[in-house]
Amino acid sequence: MKRLVESSGVEVTFREVDVVTTGTFGAMCSSGAILNLGHSDPPIKIEKAWINDVPIYHPGAAVDLYIGATSMSERQPFEYGGGHVIEDLVSGKEVDLKATAYGTDCYPRTHVKTRLTKDDLNQFYLLNFRNCYQRYNCAVNGSDETLYTYMGKLLPRLRNATFSGAGELNPLMNDPDYETIGIGTRIFLGGTQGYVIGEGTQHDPQNRFGTIMVRGDAKQMSPDFLRGASFTRYGTTLYVGLGIPIPILNEGLVKKTAIRDEEIFTNVVDYSVPRKDRPALAKVSYKELNSGAITINDRRIKVSSLSSLKTARKIAGTLKSWITQGEFFLTGPVERLPVGSVFKPMRQTAETLFVASVMQTAVTCYANEEIRAIAERIVTRSVNHIIVVDDGDKLDGIVTSWDITRAMAEGKTALAEIMTRRVVTAKPDEPLEAASRRMAQHNISALPVIDAKRKVLGIVTAEDVSKLLGR
Amino acid sequence: MAKPTTAEIILEHKVPINIITAQVTSKGGDYLVDIPDEALETVVNAFRKKGATVTLPKLIEIDKEKCFSCGACVSLCPVEAITVVEDKSVDFDKEKCVGSTCSACVEACPVGAIKSVKQNNSELANNTH
Repeated sequence: MKRLVESSGVEVTFREVDVVTTGTFGAMCSSGAILNLGHSDPPIKIEKAWINDVPIYHPGAAVDLYIGATSMSERQPFEYGGGHVIEDLVSGKEVDLKATAYGTDCYPRTHVKTRLTKDDLNQFYLLNFRNCYQRYNCAVNGSDETLYTYMGKLLPRLRNATFSGAGELNPLMNDPDYETIGIGTRIFLGGTQGYVIGEGTQHDPQNRFGTIMVRGDAKQMSPDFLRGASFTRYGTTLYVGLGIPIPILNEGLVKKTAIRDEEIFTNVVDYSVPRKDRPALAKVSYKELNSGAITINDRRIKVSSLSSLKTARKIAGTLKSWITQGEFFLTGPVERLPVGSVFKPMRQTAETLFVASVMQTAVTCYANEEIRAIAERIVTRSVNHIIVVDDGDKLDGIVTSWDITRAMAEGKTALAEIMTRRVVTAKPDEPLEAASRRMAQHNISALPVIDAKRKVLGIVTAEDVSKLLGR
Repeated sequence: MAKPTTAEIILEHKVPINIITAQVTSKGGDYLVDIPDEALETVVNAFRKKGATVTLPKLIEIDKEKCFSCGACVSLCPVEAITVVEDKSVDFDKEKCVGSTCSACVEACPVGAIKSVKQNNSELANNTH
């Protein structure tokens, strides 16, 4: 379509083209399946349920369950989750169900264990509350340690970048004013026909971050277009294959479906910043992202796509053949997706705590001091950590009361010999949660707080954190 | 003082040994080397005879059934052994891959399609000393 518009112009294309098919295959965490098991004899009103050791939600009634894509197995967390359960069921595999209940007069049963395939279920519908993001961020990591995020593995100091989205093939990007997409739009979903049932959660049309809510019969779906997945040390999810046919009703839609990757931009965001609003380092186009590398400040950074463009193309092609073979009929929406939705942050009734408001004055020393002097300071100042600084008050290292005790036992006398030089630190403007997580990950009990020039501003300890955050 | 083990083996057996990474101190070193396939057994045995501990890194293998060409692995590879080709498939170059000594791509795959596998020379691999 894009090539036709470029070569022959809008008018000719409008006469020749009736429908443009689109597609995308990416990780869509806000997904899941609603299922009805049928009643047992004697009947049970399920309270808690597990399928293949993955906790399944019981949203209502007796035997209605919802498999959430991101729920993780209790036996193999981070490796197997709700998304994998859905894939296994769709593939025809048998799964293990376990459920418990508090029992009622009309539902006296309190335990059930059984094996099920998709054919044993009454309803088994994919019910995804946020799919098909119109576009998405490009992620990088500016910190010194590898990060494991929902945008995949991010190497430190901007050594790689990741992004997601089908760009010019994305359904919502081809009809950005949602002229043809809304409640009742028939779509390709997971290998079968499904429907848009409204806008998705976090729908943000004004910023071109639109989303949709969809439904489809999972019994008719295929694991070619529905795959359980997991991002290492982040969690599990479901890759969903989705495609929407766009009827070319006017010349405006010709222009809109002619959109190219080089016209679709997104921000390169630093995911090492533990805040809701992360800094954008640059703007890049989907053309640059798909080229394999982007350039930021004269630096070439390799980029990985997290969504499969190969499968997205397959979906658009499959949808086209369904339509041309008369197996798929387009529908007009009963109500178009809203264009005015505003995406708000969470209202917070308690104040966020930052490191700066909680840190204490650091007790310091110089590297050329004797261990004996440090031991005395630990006692007189009543601390467990002493920060080693240079004469400009910049961070040199750290020494703990344990280090001192061991040094004395080993007969060492020079501080320079035993102090830790590679120090894990905190920034004053970080949320306390981030500092707490860092201490836990490194198994340490304090972090010197430094500014951008490594000047020591204070110290935050695990003890302070547990008093304030309550753990 | 440490001996010029690598140089001796090169001269003795007339094999070109390509050093990929090396950490050398006065007490010895840790090398990752690339050896022509034909010379594998000769060179490995030569190093062991001279007292070096030799391990053969496992190869990285991609399960073509599981892989759906998302491309998550591409940017992790330090030697650019993984690329996206014309039809948007993800392609893996066995020649460039340095094997399990790196493994940066393994964790990046969302469906676990990348694994370290033992080479055919499992006998050689097991005879370390």
